[in-house]
Amino acid sequence: MEKRAAVIAARFAFPIAVAVLLSACVTRAPFIPANIVAGARPHVELDATPFFAQSRYQCGPAALASVLAASGTDATPEALVPVVYIPARHGSLQVEMQAAPRRFGRLSYLLPRNLDSILAELNAGRPVLVLHNYGLPIWPRWHYAVAIGYDAAKDTIVMRSGQKKRREWRARTFMVAWHNGGRWAMVVLRPGETPVSADPKLYLHAAADFERAARPEDSAQAFGAAIERWPAEPVAWIGRGTAEYRLGNFAAAVRDYATAVRIDGTQAGARNNLAQALLDLGCPRSAREQADRIDVGTLETSLRDAVTDTRQHAQAAITASAADDPVVCASSLGGL
Amino acid sequence: MKLSFWRKSSIAILSVAVLNLGMASAASAAIVATDTLVTTDREADLSVVRSQIERADVRAQMEKMGVDATAVDHRIASLNDRELHRLAVDMQNAPAGGDVIWLVGAVFVVLIILELTGVIDIFKKA
Repeated sequence: MEKRAAVIAARFAFPIAVAVLLSACVTRAPFIPANIVAGARPHVELDATPFFAQSRYQCGPAALASVLAASGTDATPEALVPVVYIPARHGSLQVEMQAAPRRFGRLSYLLPRNLDSILAELNAGRPVLVLHNYGLPIWPRWHYAVAIGYDAAKDTIVMRSGQKKRREWRARTFMVAWHNGGRWAMVVLRPGETPVSADPKLYLHAAADFERAARPEDSAQAFGAAIERWPAEPVAWIGRGTAEYRLGNFAAAVRDYATAVRIDGTQAGARNNLAQALLDLGCPRSAREQADRIDVGTLETSLRDAVTDTRQHAQAAITASAADDPVVCASSLGGL
Repeated sequence: MKLSFWRKSSIAILSVAVLNLGMASAASAAIVATDTLVTTDREADLSVVRSQIERADVRAQMEKMGVDATAVDHRIASLNDRELHRLAVDMQNAPAGGDVIWLVGAVFVVLIILELTGVIDIFKKA
């Protein structure tokens, strides 16, 4: 009797399971409407995003060229192959995809790992580079594509991908591949642009990375945008101060560093830079005064050495000239 | 104002960055910079050494992986120490976006069906 029940159960189990599963399928909520920001358009497609059909294994250079060209650079996949492609891996690594835009005068910014930030960027007119995984956790198969639009009514996402200029996928399918790919998404920004969803901390990280390769005027714009958006962030002021310093605008550098120090007076690094900029401005006494206000006891070695250095330079300049600091020193410091 | 660890460390990083730039631009300071590098204590030396080792390591790995030798220098130069470290640690296994062959497509279709029908729910945690 028990055996017969088991047979019956087995016979019905499969159709029942299928029915249950299908009903589960029907109840699944769409993705786009739930993740779209208030006021965003329900349908976006960035048609003007350039498309480059990928060569074998080279979706990285092709997808990157697409977002860089959309941002107004002359990037091409051919130019990017020697920059991001690794022959033995048959692909491109995220770290290098992130570093490459700097060579084209663009910042790269990693989006928060949620769909709404991708949709917000698309709504703002910015295509989004994404990493998909079409394999399994134990057998991953990675692929870069560029999201260029969405449709809330159809619950779809439109991409430039591989050799297809236009690929429209159900948002759920996109999400499975994106989720399994670690939810990695990146936009490239012109100096002075900030992402819609920008987090000050993440943006300033991106700007600091950009600074390394950037022309100082571009760097000044990148940090200037941060100052406009988050005026209470000392790093934004320090970054622009550095750019001004590199441009030789020492008075402007002093003003920016002084603002950073006013926001947070405990910052040894900011104050040291301030002293350095004052020195270059021809204000050795003010420089020495600022440098002397740094408590070197708690600093790490490299910073302590730097401060000691600044102090010595300031002292040498003071010894060399008996004249008081010019008026510009105090005015640039703004009473600090 | 109390600042987060991140802010403090960012400020420190940026400060060092501007310091280097400053020293490169002024002749007298440039001499001191070299001096400073030579006389740093062990801790700082180690971090310099680490990044140099990693630089060499990444270069060797890239060349082994078929990257054109003339391109390697440029690629390494565009990376910061943090990025260099990530490559040095994980260049063999980090995700490398490449191609999609039909077999992959087939696996993916099965995955999507399982997801759609609720057999698996990959977004449960997210």
